[in-house]
Amino acid sequence: MALTRDFELLNKYGMHVRPAGALAKLCQKYRSDITVEKEAHAVSGKSVLGLMTLEAPCGTILKVTADGPDEEDALDAIGDLVENRFGILDE
Amino acid sequence: MPDGVPVSRPLGSGAGELREKVTVERFLAQGREPLQLRLVAGGLGLDRVVPEAALNRPGLALAGFFRYFAPHRLQIIGKHEHAYLGHIGKEERIGKLRRLFSRHVPAIIVCRGLAMYDGMSELADRTKTPLLSTGIETHYFINAATLLMEDLVGLHEVVHGTMIEVFGQGVLLVGEAGIGKSETALGLIKRGHALVSDDTTMLRRDSSGRIMAASVEPIADFMEIRGIGIIHVPSVFGIAAIRGEKQLDLVMDLERPADAEPYIDRTGETTWYRDILGLRVPEVVVPVAPGRDMVNMVETAVCEYKLRAKGYHAARALDERVLARNAQILKLHKVEI
Repeated sequence: MALTRDFELLNKYGMHVRPAGALAKLCQKYRSDITVEKEAHAVSGKSVLGLMTLEAPCGTILKVTADGPDEEDALDAIGDLVENRFGILDE
Repeated sequence: MPDGVPVSRPLGSGAGELREKVTVERFLAQGREPLQLRLVAGGLGLDRVVPEAALNRPGLALAGFFRYFAPHRLQIIGKHEHAYLGHIGKEERIGKLRRLFSRHVPAIIVCRGLAMYDGMSELADRTKTPLLSTGIETHYFINAATLLMEDLVGLHEVVHGTMIEVFGQGVLLVGEAGIGKSETALGLIKRGHALVSDDTTMLRRDSSGRIMAASVEPIADFMEIRGIGIIHVPSVFGIAAIRGEKQLDLVMDLERPADAEPYIDRTGETTWYRDILGLRVPEVVVPVAPGRDMVNMVETAVCEYKLRAKGYHAARALDERVLARNAQILKLHKVEI
C-alpha cells in the first residue's frame, strides 16, 4: 500500500542542487520506492538530477509517494527535511 | 516462464504517460524561435486547441470550395493563396477571408513574411482566430511546423533511466537507484560511446512509430556519479561523448541477482520486452554482482541484439548444431547394429 503526502517547498530558492542532493541522500536510506511529482511530471526521489528537472521554485506543492516496507518513516523524514528548508541555513 | 515465448512487461507504472492538448499558445511558444512565429492579431483565441498535427493550405476554400475542408488544422497562407487574394478585388477578398475566418479554425498563418491585407487583423480579432506570421518560406515552414506539431501531440513519458548510444544502437539502462546505471554509462563513455541522458530520460513516440529518447532540461549533459558528484560530460570527456535525441532500440535492466533470477534464461532463448508508450521494446535483464564488468556486458548485449536483428540467433544456431549431431550419432549407431 503506497502512501502519498503533499509538501510545500518553503526554502527561498525551491528545488536546486543542494536541496536535491539532500533529498536524494535521505530517500536513498529507505528501501521504499519514492516518487516526487509536480503536476504530471514524476521522478524518483533518489535521483538528484531527476529532482532538478521538476523546476520547482519556492511555494511549489510536491506530491511525494512512498511505496515499500518503510514508507511511513520515509514520508515523515521527508516532511521534516522539507520543513527544515533542507537544512540550508541561509534559505 | 515458457521457453522461446516473448514476454512483455511495462516500464514504470505508465502513469506518467501524457498526451497533452496542444493549444495555439503552446504551438506559438514552442515555435516562436525555430519557426520565427509572431502573433499579429486574434490573441483572444490563443487558447484554441489544434486537434490535428497536419497543416492545411486553404486555397480551394478561399476559392469557395469547402467540401472536405480540414477545419481542425492550422491554415497556411503561402505565396499561392496570397497571390490569389491579391488577384481578386478588395470586396471579394474580404468576403473570402470572412468565410475562412468564420470556420473556427485553430489559427491562420501567413508565410514568407507576406503582407497582411486590410481587414485581416480585424477579422482575426472579431472571430478570435489567432493570426500568425512567419518569415520562413511556405514549404520549409510546413515541414518544420508539421514536425513540431507531431512532437507536441505525441505520447510522452519521463522515465528513470540512463540513455546511451552503443555501437549505433540506443540503449536505455534502467534499474533501481544506486544499482550502477550512471557508472556503467561512464564506463561506456570512456570506451567511446555517447551519452544521451543520465538518470532522467524523456521518451516520445514519434509519427513513424519509433520511440525517441532525449534528455530533460535543465540537466542535459550533466551526470551524477556517486562519490564524485555532478559532472558536466562534454567538459570532462569532450563533445563527442554526448549526443542529442536517439531512437530507443534496447532496454537493459540492471537488477540485484535475486531480483533478476526470474528473468534469467541461461541460453538467451527467451526474448523479453518492455511495453513503452504502447510499443514493445526488446529488453535484457542483467544481474549486477561484484566483479561483473557491466560495460562489457552492455557492449556484448548490444552486439548480440544486432546479430539477432540480422537474423542470427546464437542459442537457436547452437541448438540446430546439437540436434544435427544427435541425429548423426543415431544414424551411425543404427548402421553399426
